[in-house]
Amino acid sequence: MLKYIGKRLLMLIPVILVTSFLIFWAMSLTGGDPARQIAGDRATEAEVEAIREEMGLNDPFLVRYGNYMKGMLTGDMGKSYVTNKDVFRTFMEKLPNTLMLGGAAVLIAIIVSLPLGIYTAIHQNTWKDTAGMVFALFGTSMPNFWLGLMLIILFSLKLHWLPSGGKNGFASLILPALTVGFGLAALITRTTRSSMLDVIRQDYMTTARAKGCSEKRVIFRHGLKNALIPIITAIGLQMSLVITGSVLAETVFSWPGIGRLVYDSISKRDTPMVTGSIIMCSVLMCIINLVVDLIYAFFDPRIKAQYSKKR
Amino acid sequence: MNKRVLAMLLCLVMVLSVMSIGATAYAEDVPAHKDTLIIGTAADINNLNLQQQQDATNNIILKNTHQTLLFFNNDPNAATRFDPGLATDWEFTDDTHIIMHLRDDVYFNDGEKTPMTADDVKFTLDMAVGEGSKVAGNLAGFVSCSVVDEHTVEIEIETYNNEFIYSLASVPLSVQSKKAWESGMDEPWFIGTGPYKFVKWEEGVVCRLEKVADYWGNNLPAGDIFAPGVSDAIEFRPYLEASSRVIALQNGEIDVCIDPPMNELQYLEEDKNVTVYEQTGTRLFYFAFNTQKAPWDNEKLRQAVACAINRDDVLTVAVDGKGTLQKTILNRGLWGFYDDMEGFNYDLDRAKALMAEAGYPDGGISTTLTYSTSGAYANIATVIQDNLSKIGITVTLNPMEDATLKETCVNGDQELYLWRWNEDSKVDFVYRDLYYTGSTSNYHHYSDPHADELIDKVATEKDQDARMAAGIELQEYLVNACPQVPLYIANLVIAFNKDLQGQYFYGGGNHNWSHAYIAK
Repeated sequence: MLKYIGKRLLMLIPVILVTSFLIFWAMSLTGGDPARQIAGDRATEAEVEAIREEMGLNDPFLVRYGNYMKGMLTGDMGKSYVTNKDVFRTFMEKLPNTLMLGGAAVLIAIIVSLPLGIYTAIHQNTWKDTAGMVFALFGTSMPNFWLGLMLIILFSLKLHWLPSGGKNGFASLILPALTVGFGLAALITRTTRSSMLDVIRQDYMTTARAKGCSEKRVIFRHGLKNALIPIITAIGLQMSLVITGSVLAETVFSWPGIGRLVYDSISKRDTPMVTGSIIMCSVLMCIINLVVDLIYAFFDPRIKAQYSKKR
Repeated sequence: MNKRVLAMLLCLVMVLSVMSIGATAYAEDVPAHKDTLIIGTAADINNLNLQQQQDATNNIILKNTHQTLLFFNNDPNAATRFDPGLATDWEFTDDTHIIMHLRDDVYFNDGEKTPMTADDVKFTLDMAVGEGSKVAGNLAGFVSCSVVDEHTVEIEIETYNNEFIYSLASVPLSVQSKKAWESGMDEPWFIGTGPYKFVKWEEGVVCRLEKVADYWGNNLPAGDIFAPGVSDAIEFRPYLEASSRVIALQNGEIDVCIDPPMNELQYLEEDKNVTVYEQTGTRLFYFAFNTQKAPWDNEKLRQAVACAINRDDVLTVAVDGKGTLQKTILNRGLWGFYDDMEGFNYDLDRAKALMAEAGYPDGGISTTLTYSTSGAYANIATVIQDNLSKIGITVTLNPMEDATLKETCVNGDQELYLWRWNEDSKVDFVYRDLYYTGSTSNYHHYSDPHADELIDKVATEKDQDARMAAGIELQEYLVNACPQVPLYIANLVIAFNKDLQGQYFYGGGNHNWSHAYIAK
């Protein structure tokens, strides 16, 4: 198992190389001169040129990329063009906020979607199943910035129960987590339902019932455990997306997370911040995927056996 | 013994009574107020190192913690817009030397009451033009600063300039503590002389300032620009999404909503707890030409386009009519503002006649209009596209992000474009920046020796009547040459808690919050 984890972690190296190269390349293609952004409208051409020279922006693309990667090797991801702050430190300051939002959203999604997915599966083709699927369809198709605004209007403006935005205590986490969590819940409900439907028809379920197991035990012990692999995959995938892509919810709720950081940095042509943040997001995604793979082993003995064989 | 105890008790009672009278007097001086004033900003706070940034949101915060040599007042009708700040007075000893006297009662909020002296002023100005500074452009023309005595400096400039001294009112040039910088402390730029000090800055969440207990200006009377603040603390909280900011105000999470969106003003106006305030602004929005690119190097053609644009419609779609149409190229409220020229009003017949004079009687021009994806530019572009189609000009719309647009315009790759200019203190920052040959922000790529000569004259002419005449001539000349079509000046619109007091608004948005509070 440890060898497998080590191998997976080593795979981060090509991921970082490819990601950083692609981001650097994409940023070099976008218009907008970072030196001019920094210097401001009133700066003379000489002042802008001096900034360009100081930041190495006049160097060829490959030289700039090489210098950046050289810094990375020593743990230096550079400084933001805009704030002059260390990129890694800035990212790490925002990460807990994003993890908090992502974690709360996924938790809400799991609490809602697992029971609902199982319930709709065992009541397939009834009105209960249809209602559950309508909920799922609604959640999937609804843009989360719109849902966010609707929740703000209801819970903040009309009822005055919750703050509309910002990060100011636990109460300010509820609305953004609900907004992101609702969309996730819809997707995980659909996955849970279809996975459970596959399992419910299996012979071992019939055997379990024939043995005299209670329906509850059949569903949760024999059914859900075997249906969990696709569900865990879906949750892991969604968790990765939430962490790296909650920019809309973070903007609507003024939540200071990574999504907003990357969005702002792109608009200000803050190449070190964009590159550093996206590399860190890639690393995070790889780690989450690794954790998901390890969880498979926990739930599925066949996968655990494979890892053991490899060892 | 009992008498002695009684006497001591009486003394104690008397002392306590005197103390309570003092406390009552102080309490009466400070109006009843909510502890913390919370301002919802429309942009993130990204850098509070004064000379490493030029951002309006940062500067609004820094105004509470730092102070400038000159103070820029908000009264466009005042005899002068610049009052003494940390400098009490100044005079030119010759064309290139200014003697400036400083207040002798100011100290820094560093816990040691370190006095502010001429050394600090010299240090600040030298640092501003030194290596790595991002505000050197604010001090254009500066040569050196030397210390004459503890509270006097002499500033040398390259050539006489009417407005050089006004540069010293810009927030990034606020006086900083030499001692703090030389002590090796972390973040020495946070040490200022203002009535508030930094307590907490969590990026993207909040920047909290608290009142300085032993502020040097504590004894100054209310109404003095350096009088102590009222609110115990001021918090700046970024709410980037405009609708969220509006709701946060209505929900009482913030007390001030900067830049409320026009399409939601109605909700705010209906809210009995909110005041929507409006005043003439200084932000000029304009339509312009790259005058080096054919066919827009043709002055008559530019004039024809100016006559074809229906600015009333533009004002309506852009800011719901909350603004002022204008003819001149100078921002409203600036010295020498003159708007009485004939200009180019919406007149399709005149536009067609000018098209014929320009050599395009049937139109037949295809061009591109570049504009920013932010704000209301897309709406303005659509109106102009329709307007110009009526004189035979086919416009292709080319929206792009601000950063890309600036680079495109600096490189001269655009044909027509929409942009803005916000200046409320120095006319040279309009004339020279936008029209002087070779200026980086002269996106018109306009070059005219006569205009350059007039721009220099406005900057350096000492006779104020002759200077005013040159300014008016320059405005008429530029309006006629038409490198840009001024569209409108957007009103300043701001919404706040109805109990807000002590606010000090500027048409350009760089408000002072240091005396603002929510009355109880």
